[in-house]
Amino acid sequence: MSLRFNRRSMLRGLLGGAGVGLGLPALDIFLDVNGKAWADGTKLPVRFGTYFWGLGLTDTPTGGTRWVPTKKGPGYEITPELASLAPVKDKVSVFSGFRAIGDGRPNVVHWSGHASILSGIAPAVTGSFDGPSFDTRIADAIGSSSRFKSIDISPSGKALSYSTRTGKSFSTPEITPVSLYERIYGEGFQDPNNPNWKPDPKVMLKQSILSAVTDQRQALMADVGTADKVKLDQYFTSVREMENQLELQLQKPEKCEACVVPGRPGEAKKSASIDVVNENNKAMAKLLAMAMACNQTRVFNCVHTPGASETYIAGDSKIYHQYTHDEPTDAKLGYQPMSSKLAGMVMQGFGDFLAEMDAVKEGDGTLLDNSLIMGFSDTGYAKIHSLENIPMLLAGGAGGRHKAGQHISSEGESVTRVSLTAQQIIGAPVGEFGTGAMKTSRPITEVMA
Amino acid sequence: MKRRLIELAATTAALVGFCGAASAEWSKTYVVEWNEAAMYYGAKTGVTDPGTDCPKGTNPEIDQVKLLEDAGYTPAEAKWLRDPANPSRSPVHGQNQMAFRGEGRANVYIHPETTKDYGLVGVSGKISEGINLDGDTSTGFVSPTGEKGIDNTFYKTLGCWKTYRGPPRLSSGALTFNDSMREGAWTVVIVVAGKGDDPMNDKAVDVGFYMSGDKLVKDGNGEIARDYTFRIKPDAKFEALFKAQTKDGVITSRTAADEVWLRDPSYTGELQLLRARVSLTMEKDGSLKGYVGGYRPWKPVYDGWVRARGPVIESLTWVRLPDVYYALKRSADYSPTGPGGEKTHISYAERVDAIPAFVMTPDASKQVTEVTSYKAMASKEPPEKKKIYVVDGLVPDPKVPFGESLKVYPVPAKVSEAASAAPASGRK
Repeated sequence: MSLRFNRRSMLRGLLGGAGVGLGLPALDIFLDVNGKAWADGTKLPVRFGTYFWGLGLTDTPTGGTRWVPTKKGPGYEITPELASLAPVKDKVSVFSGFRAIGDGRPNVVHWSGHASILSGIAPAVTGSFDGPSFDTRIADAIGSSSRFKSIDISPSGKALSYSTRTGKSFSTPEITPVSLYERIYGEGFQDPNNPNWKPDPKVMLKQSILSAVTDQRQALMADVGTADKVKLDQYFTSVREMENQLELQLQKPEKCEACVVPGRPGEAKKSASIDVVNENNKAMAKLLAMAMACNQTRVFNCVHTPGASETYIAGDSKIYHQYTHDEPTDAKLGYQPMSSKLAGMVMQGFGDFLAEMDAVKEGDGTLLDNSLIMGFSDTGYAKIHSLENIPMLLAGGAGGRHKAGQHISSEGESVTRVSLTAQQIIGAPVGEFGTGAMKTSRPITEVMA
Repeated sequence: MKRRLIELAATTAALVGFCGAASAEWSKTYVVEWNEAAMYYGAKTGVTDPGTDCPKGTNPEIDQVKLLEDAGYTPAEAKWLRDPANPSRSPVHGQNQMAFRGEGRANVYIHPETTKDYGLVGVSGKISEGINLDGDTSTGFVSPTGEKGIDNTFYKTLGCWKTYRGPPRLSSGALTFNDSMREGAWTVVIVVAGKGDDPMNDKAVDVGFYMSGDKLVKDGNGEIARDYTFRIKPDAKFEALFKAQTKDGVITSRTAADEVWLRDPSYTGELQLLRARVSLTMEKDGSLKGYVGGYRPWKPVYDGWVRARGPVIESLTWVRLPDVYYALKRSADYSPTGPGGEKTHISYAERVDAIPAFVMTPDASKQVTEVTSYKAMASKEPPEKKKIYVVDGLVPDPKVPFGESLKVYPVPAKVSEAASAAPASGRK
């Protein structure tokens, strides 16, 4: 029987004269009998990550850009601040000209940009979002069958994550390679390729404790009022998630060809200087890449440097944040030279990160080919905290669903179009994203295979 | 659609007739899409290059380590305080210890006279934008078009400071505050109405600046959209009404307004102008460009910069804030109490760019066609307070009490050794 729809199908139609596409979630009918590959044999696009860096990239009102390619569509040229992406250029799409729209809300500096990208609504105040970040929705969709639903890292050493289910409290990231290693490969880790695998008695004990209270749990729910029921329901949802995770750990894991358990990293340096941050970032990317290859997680969030980034070049008395504000635009160059230099160094972190993922071979391709990573920042022209032309990137082949290697140029459309595109490429069951002027049901179909 | 609705409203209003004062014969309405201190840039290129205004270019960056050494800190302490690795140096709020460089470790932001005046370099050129406020053509600057008597001592005093200097729309301060306005932080509308037959040449014209609660709207190119609709939001303070005239499309004040208040694109936030005047041109493309000027109090200007977090402003805008205090105090050129009184005000002009817009009455019932005061309709609620928590120009750090940075985070031995090996220039 031939299917009318397949995994690449989109529900297409016309809205206001413009073509719109609605991606479909990863329905069972699209999978092979094992659920491990698409019916046509290609691998599942099962990994998703967000990668944030602070202070945007260099763009000035006088027209000097150091990151926006001139050529649109496929085959864009590598610009100075994207130089670190050159080795994986054909696996990265660049999105320029997109903006966060406040709908009358003020620009909460170093916050509104990424809050809009992740939650689809401009925040009212700094420190919280007005909705959940969309990575959590993806984690719910694709992260339940791995040991960790998602993992957050913050290589700058600051405990920062922008992943949130409530908008108020944010995930707790690992801030050093050692802590990341311990979390993934420490207690509870089971090597999927270990021929002598046995269920961990500690896990069995934990599971039995949870099972033992099931009856009392149900009795308690019957006794309490509506408000408490809501609270308890939220609480027991997290308990059930824990039960699922334990259940998962008691099953013999599938072999993962690409999985090679890494050695414990040495103690990392602690500093916000860019060389140290990038060193930690690279070490953590390596650990995280292998965690994904070993099916420990399928979703991650990385905050390379905060919005008001305090990173600096060792020996310099000024931090990057200060340079973006106080450095004048060089009349001959047309941009802020030190800010641009630092932007390039910060982007080296993203290049290194992608290189680590591309170094892990999976089947005929690489881990990067089977992943989608959305890279983005908090601002466009950092000198004035602009919410226009916020740099956004989609990296990785997403198992064939991302037509990568393109430059998509917009004239002021909402950043949520890129966010929606990422969600639909990865297969999250979402037809629209955003609120108010940033509400969109139009993904960028040019990059969707 | 929006425009059609407004046209309909205007037509309806015309049919039923306006209440109150008789409407003017003609009116034009605008929304401000850019405003900044009128600072003539005397260089031909760049934003900081040497020019006729500032022959040495924009005032250079301050050596903050040297500044701390001058204040009595040891070289090791000074270097450590400015070291990005120092945990007490906030990437957002700067280094609080920068405040305590006055006599007896006084906070120089709130007690600027406890430190010496290094002398802020001001404008030495002869050209300035602005308005002749006192009618005297023998004093002041010459305008770029040759008009004599331009009064803009604010420019003369602060025009070489990086935050203000640059070609129109490109100084860092103007970019920052206008971006904020354009993202919806505030909106100002202008109503121009006349009684004559020819708007371009009319001897009885009124000009009104009002606040609007409706946010500016950007078009697809990121510019502020023309012909959008804004309701006047009555404000008990921010309103400026002028008696004017037009000649060849240029609107100039007939008489000075005693006192007006405008929303200022600055950390001060509000602009009181005494003896205020306008000089605005109705351009062929429908826009309105020009100046509003008068004498503004100088102390709130200084206080605005301090409230914006002294250490941040000093490092980002390349200035010693006490120098700004001394310079403004020294240059003030107007006393509200008369020639012999204390000069609390300084001559000033603001450059205004406005585009056509529909301006409606506060209840949106009709299009505004006359200039009148809406102050009586203003809300009695106190204005919303700013959320940023600043005390004496500093953001308190619970881990580091004011002035205790070196006790909480003493100079590491490595820094101390390196500093003691270097010559201790400027050390007291």
